[in-house]
Amino acid sequence: MPLWFLRGLRRGVVTTRYPGQPDASAAQLPTPPAFRPAALTRDLADRLAAICPSWALTRNGDVLFFDAGACTACGRCREAAPGAVTASGEFELAATDPAHLVKRIPLLGEGGS
Amino acid sequence: MSLPRTEETAQALRRSVARQFGRSLHIRTLDTGSCAACEQEIRLLAAPHYDLHRLGFFFTPAPRHADLLMATGPMIRAFDIAARKTYEAMPGPKLVVATGACALGGVYQPDAFTHGSVGDTLPVDVWIPGCPPSPLALLQGLLVAVDRLAEKVRDLTFIQEGGPR
Repeated sequence: MPLWFLRGLRRGVVTTRYPGQPDASAAQLPTPPAFRPAALTRDLADRLAAICPSWALTRNGDVLFFDAGACTACGRCREAAPGAVTASGEFELAATDPAHLVKRIPLLGEGGS
Repeated sequence: MSLPRTEETAQALRRSVARQFGRSLHIRTLDTGSCAACEQEIRLLAAPHYDLHRLGFFFTPAPRHADLLMATGPMIRAFDIAARKTYEAMPGPKLVVATGACALGGVYQPDAFTHGSVGDTLPVDVWIPGCPPSPLALLQGLLVAVDRLAEKVRDLTFIQEGGPR
């Protein structure tokens, strides 16, 4: 009997149940950032927009526009401002319209940060 | 009087069409200048852990046999004719899925060499973000494309109240 057959029997079914049940490995995926509006100021938003390598962040007045479609989940904004940006944990991001991927993040922070 | 019933019948018909189409779907991948990271993840869909054949999706090398075009990369301008020919060779009804941040207009700005987004050249139905999108994200995108899963990202805000976890 070939060895791979025995190994397969020992390991059992490895296939994910994904759409029916959540997949355990999803927790380890790099995911786009989630923002805390209370910690975001105009200065910080400008700094994050300058850091972003894929033009996913743009500031317009008191709103930070986040394009989840352009985001590469590199984590640079999270490293630059750990108090204001965290990982969202969302990986199911397919959209039927690119406009659904652009999110408005209000800037509610006060003073410099 | 018969109007609500007609509406009901039409809805039932639409649901059954989605069900029929969702049962078996052939995918042609189209690399429009990607770095091959997306291709690696697409390749993993056929591996035992993800096994997309269990959901009725299959890869085909011929556009003429394909129902769905999975385009990766920022759509370089040198590829315009090939992309159009591939799309035209597919029989209808057909779907186009833009895959990865490049295809969605993230990584490259439009310039003399690239369009910067697949949407400029092809009529895209579903957009899958990620750099590269994980096989799970690709599976969800494919299932959204055939109406077997609802789109989730429309209701996400990417705003987190309270402190960081």
